[in-house]
Amino acid sequence: MRGERRFALALFLPALLLLLVTTTLPLVYLLWTSVQRVDLSMPWLSGFAGLENYAKLGGDRRFWSSLWLTFVYTGTTVALQVVVGLGLALLVMQVRLGQGLLRVAAILPIVLAPVVAGLFWRSLVLAPDFGILDFATRALGLGSFNWLGDPQLALVSVIAIHTWQWTPFAFLVLLASLAALPPDIYEAARLDRAGPWQRFWHITLPLLRPAIVIVVILRMVTALSAFAAIFAATGGGPGSATEILNLYAYRLSFTELNLGYGAAVATVLLFLTLAVSFGLFVFRKTR
Amino acid sequence: MKLRHAVLLAVAVLMMLVWTFPVLWGLLTSLKTERDVLAYPPTVIFEPTAGNYRDVLFGATSILPNLVSSVIVSGLTTVLTMLFAIPAAYALSRLDLPFKRASGFYVLATQMLPPVGLVIPYFLLLRRIGWTDTYQGLVLVYLTFALPFAIWLLVSYFEEIPREMEEAALLDRAGRWRALWHVILPQARGGIAVTLIFVFLNSWNEFLFAVVLGGNTVRTVTVAMFNFISLEQTQWARLAAAAMVGMAPVIALGLIAQRHIVKGLTVGAVKGGARR
Repeated sequence: MRGERRFALALFLPALLLLLVTTTLPLVYLLWTSVQRVDLSMPWLSGFAGLENYAKLGGDRRFWSSLWLTFVYTGTTVALQVVVGLGLALLVMQVRLGQGLLRVAAILPIVLAPVVAGLFWRSLVLAPDFGILDFATRALGLGSFNWLGDPQLALVSVIAIHTWQWTPFAFLVLLASLAALPPDIYEAARLDRAGPWQRFWHITLPLLRPAIVIVVILRMVTALSAFAAIFAATGGGPGSATEILNLYAYRLSFTELNLGYGAAVATVLLFLTLAVSFGLFVFRKTR
Repeated sequence: MKLRHAVLLAVAVLMMLVWTFPVLWGLLTSLKTERDVLAYPPTVIFEPTAGNYRDVLFGATSILPNLVSSVIVSGLTTVLTMLFAIPAAYALSRLDLPFKRASGFYVLATQMLPPVGLVIPYFLLLRRIGWTDTYQGLVLVYLTFALPFAIWLLVSYFEEIPREMEEAALLDRAGRWRALWHVILPQARGGIAVTLIFVFLNSWNEFLFAVVLGGNTVRTVTVAMFNFISLEQTQWARLAAAAMVGMAPVIALGLIAQRHIVKGLTVGAVKGGARR
């Protein structure tokens, strides 16, 4: 069917060309920029730099700290989302009442712009003196905390914001897969006198494995490209306490105007993300 | 057993509160005067005012121009995306496309690129051709995340349509156009609507590209939120009102598309493409 192939190409090529121009071309330019000296505050120094930018990464403590923060941020947010999301999904499966309402509530954080989520948390929840959390801890006699001003608490806060916004995703996906599990397996298990834990470990969890893998991979990609909520809540600070690679590459490029070096940091992030997406491809293939 | 049920219900209700709280509290805050906002302990009972909304819409710091910017950018992005994505998705899901598997992977990979890796080269490239702070520049950049997403979501909807429906129409070249136009498109109406909604929603919420590549001419509503925050003083109530106005469209769209949200979020991962 040569006619069909030609027709298919004619339909697909415009989108393919557009994607090549809008995504692949800029990425090539990113790689090119990362081996250049592009410092807009010192434009006269611009020129080919070879691997200078990458060599600089090795001795840059801020880079290693941001790489570490990226792992911490991605690891904890994804783990929390899956554990809380799965727990809630299992729980909701047993409460038939109000499931619809909970679903609607779950959608709210997801559709909110991350920048607005960051601003809301920063101003209404975490702000000292009139944030609602400060009020709560004071009322409980725990005292006042500087949630966004203390380096460690700030990291906890941005992790909490991300987890708040995206746990509903894990919850909704896992709830949908739980609801799709065949009920007769449980009947059989009950007849075999399997306890609730045994049923969870030996039936539910293995059956949910594909859904959990999907959630983990997609959540990792989202966490690796997180920017707006942190930018709005802490700006990467205090100091560089919440500066994950995204924030570091942004600050290098658009605050310090050192785009060449920023491009090198972004390239590291690009390869991290590609490694995770590769996991998705492998997963799709094995199915 | 009764007790267990009550505990479960309590946890579910608590979760619901946690998820809705920031938005509900934002709504309350937007109806307060700046003085009521700063009251300690926080008040739930106060005299509501529409003043913040008036300021935010018609005052000196009006976000109306920003809403217009957002509508133009998101609208154009959505239209262009659909124009390119529908034929591409049809080819990927239904036709004998050469290198189909590789093409599907390529589209999926482009969807996962970290935005910060794109914004640096785009900043330099758009500056060179004078397209920073222009609608065409920002829409072009928005296609980078909108187009792969839309293609994959549409593929998953096209694949649900029973094949027999179009086979009758598949006779010759003109027949294929007719099959796409008269069989596939009407059948996939719902899927296309959902895709439209998600593309618009994602574009509306975008922040990084808008803040770096926008400017005084094109300043979307997500960027305009920062108008109410300065080093000296933050206008909490106005910020809350602006956020409410800015987020009303996406909350409404999210509620309309709520049944499809799981599918929209797991697109590309669950099934689809390159399976024929």
